[in-house]
Amino acid sequence: MKKFFNKIGSLIVTREIFEDKKSLKTLYKYFLGGLLVRFIFLPFFFERDILSTYQRAAETLYTKNLGLDNLQILTNMIHSIYLFIIKSIFPAINQLFSVLLEKDTWISWIEFNSSYNIFTTLTLFKILYLVFDIGCMFLIMRFSFDDEPENKLRVFKFWIFNPILLFVVYIFARHDIIAVFTTLVALLLAKKDRKYWAIGILAIGIALRFFPIMILPLLVLYLARTKKDYIILSLTGLSGITAVELLCHFIFGKSVILPLLKTQHFEYFLSTKFDLVTGSHSSIFIFIAAYIFIILSFLHIKKKSFDLLLNYGAIIYLAYVGICFFHPQYVLWVVPFLVIAFVRRKSLLYYNWLQFVLLMVILIYWGDLVTKFVLAPIDYRYFIYLTGIIPIIERFYDSAKFVNIFRSIFTGVSLWMVYLIYKDNKKLMGNELDNNRLGKV
Amino acid sequence: MTGKTFKIKIIILVSLLVLISLLLAGCTGIFYIPGASYGYYIWEENNSIFIEWSVDKKDTEFNGVISTDGKITAYKLKNWEEGDDIIEVGEDRIEFSAALSSQDYSDGFIFTPQDYTYLEFDLEINNGYELSRVNVGGFLENPKDDVFRIGKDYFSQLEMKPWYRKHPFSEFFYKLSANKYFTFLYLFILGIIIIEILRVTVIARRKRKIMWVMISYAVLIIIEICIYFILRFLTG
Repeated sequence: MKKFFNKIGSLIVTREIFEDKKSLKTLYKYFLGGLLVRFIFLPFFFERDILSTYQRAAETLYTKNLGLDNLQILTNMIHSIYLFIIKSIFPAINQLFSVLLEKDTWISWIEFNSSYNIFTTLTLFKILYLVFDIGCMFLIMRFSFDDEPENKLRVFKFWIFNPILLFVVYIFARHDIIAVFTTLVALLLAKKDRKYWAIGILAIGIALRFFPIMILPLLVLYLARTKKDYIILSLTGLSGITAVELLCHFIFGKSVILPLLKTQHFEYFLSTKFDLVTGSHSSIFIFIAAYIFIILSFLHIKKKSFDLLLNYGAIIYLAYVGICFFHPQYVLWVVPFLVIAFVRRKSLLYYNWLQFVLLMVILIYWGDLVTKFVLAPIDYRYFIYLTGIIPIIERFYDSAKFVNIFRSIFTGVSLWMVYLIYKDNKKLMGNELDNNRLGKV
Repeated sequence: MTGKTFKIKIIILVSLLVLISLLLAGCTGIFYIPGASYGYYIWEENNSIFIEWSVDKKDTEFNGVISTDGKITAYKLKNWEEGDDIIEVGEDRIEFSAALSSQDYSDGFIFTPQDYTYLEFDLEINNGYELSRVNVGGFLENPKDDVFRIGKDYFSQLEMKPWYRKHPFSEFFYKLSANKYFTFLYLFILGIIIIEILRVTVIARRKRKIMWVMISYAVLIIIEICIYFILRFLTG
């Protein structure tokens, strides 16, 4: 029996930490601290999008059509199943269905905020994300620093107290954490050299949220050992996505990947461009150029370690948020890759905090909905009529210019972080070379 | 005290002061930012009534009538633009019409009524009624009717209104109280987490560990009971 529990313990917190009492205690402390912060935020804040997500889920349950949401079919399925479970356990949620099925977005938002049990509802809605977040925190420890429990603990701490993660998942309440979890599973499988599983799971991640597609080429390049591998894995990658696409097509009669290409997400990749000749059609999409540059530089690394793969993931997502237009929740995609790099280069951690502070200013881009209305569950009337941050800035200075100054600083910081990771890559490759030499000696 | 601890304390203190000043700013009702805040702001000071209005740099018309069963003995204009803004002051009635724009952030006037039992307000924004934008004596102290009256002691009574009966606290406490099973469960979970943190940190260094844990849980239960009564008191 003891052996069985020891095995479970090792499985959850990794063997290195489980076998070291001191590390285990420290991990428990971090876990409790992180849980406390998460619970404090759970009932009181949300951004309008979580309501839309659950409104689609409610409509799915009402119409009994799992393939209702055309854009994010898998995400909608997860939320629909979860809503079905919580409404079965807590019948009080049924009272809320009239609000969730209300078509007018403003009326549904007001009614949701004014409902007496909004704190319960928000907590229940967000617990789904908490589950995936807890999954992520135990997965991420396994990514690096094998046989280094102290560094594993650092990774755990950096994840659990990451301000961007806490903001996006628990204050903003966006569902990106589900796709992040899937991506982390795919990466861990890649570390364990489970090539096809890794690519297959990443394909599911892509169907959940478009962003994992950015690391698909990296993953293929990392996993491929021979020329044959490149072909098979690329095909697996594509077939994985195609399988998800076909499955959804046959079951629900709808495409799941193609609509994503038509959404804003893809447009954002192309939003920053150089016009080669004014008035002509010739342009260079800056992110696409930078992306190809990053992928090629990864391609030409002879010995691709898993740490390098993670660093390149961080570079890609940092380049994305640095160069392109993004929504606040997209910054979450940088976090899983950065927390590993924080251990090797602490300055990145401080820059990540700076990114978070700047992000709080950049939020002003999206107006009341993502600033004062996030606090509306506490008292919606108060936060509707409270003078917003944009009019206050506009009173003294052009608000667009003001935000764009901070947006530019954000870009500068993000690109500097890319440079720091590039330096870290050189160090990692140097260590790799030294290890090889020592091995030969 | 180390330098680092001192710095942290200073940061916490400054943050708290900023937070408190922000909360107070939102609650007094007379605080508004000309050219950013939107609505009418009415308050009393030294037996004079202040009426000011502001909008977030958009072309907006403010017009209305104030009447009383007493006498208006004095009035004074504030930021008034001759020509664009009109005011007619009678013995017991003031009628005004003023426009704000991207250059004109706020207007207002002060008048002194005497021997009155009520003041009647008929205030319009862009020739319509927006009662949620009429703040009488405090932020979100809105009238219920388009044309509304306030008694002589309205402002002094409002001053006596405790903070927990004002927005946003009133609504927040109402929701916590109306959903008390959630509130108690939520606080209990938070309490368990805090006790666990204490158990593995502070209590772990003490001798009678079990006793301290039991005391912690007893304190948690007492806190829960206290919160029940506090919420009952706050929500009346």
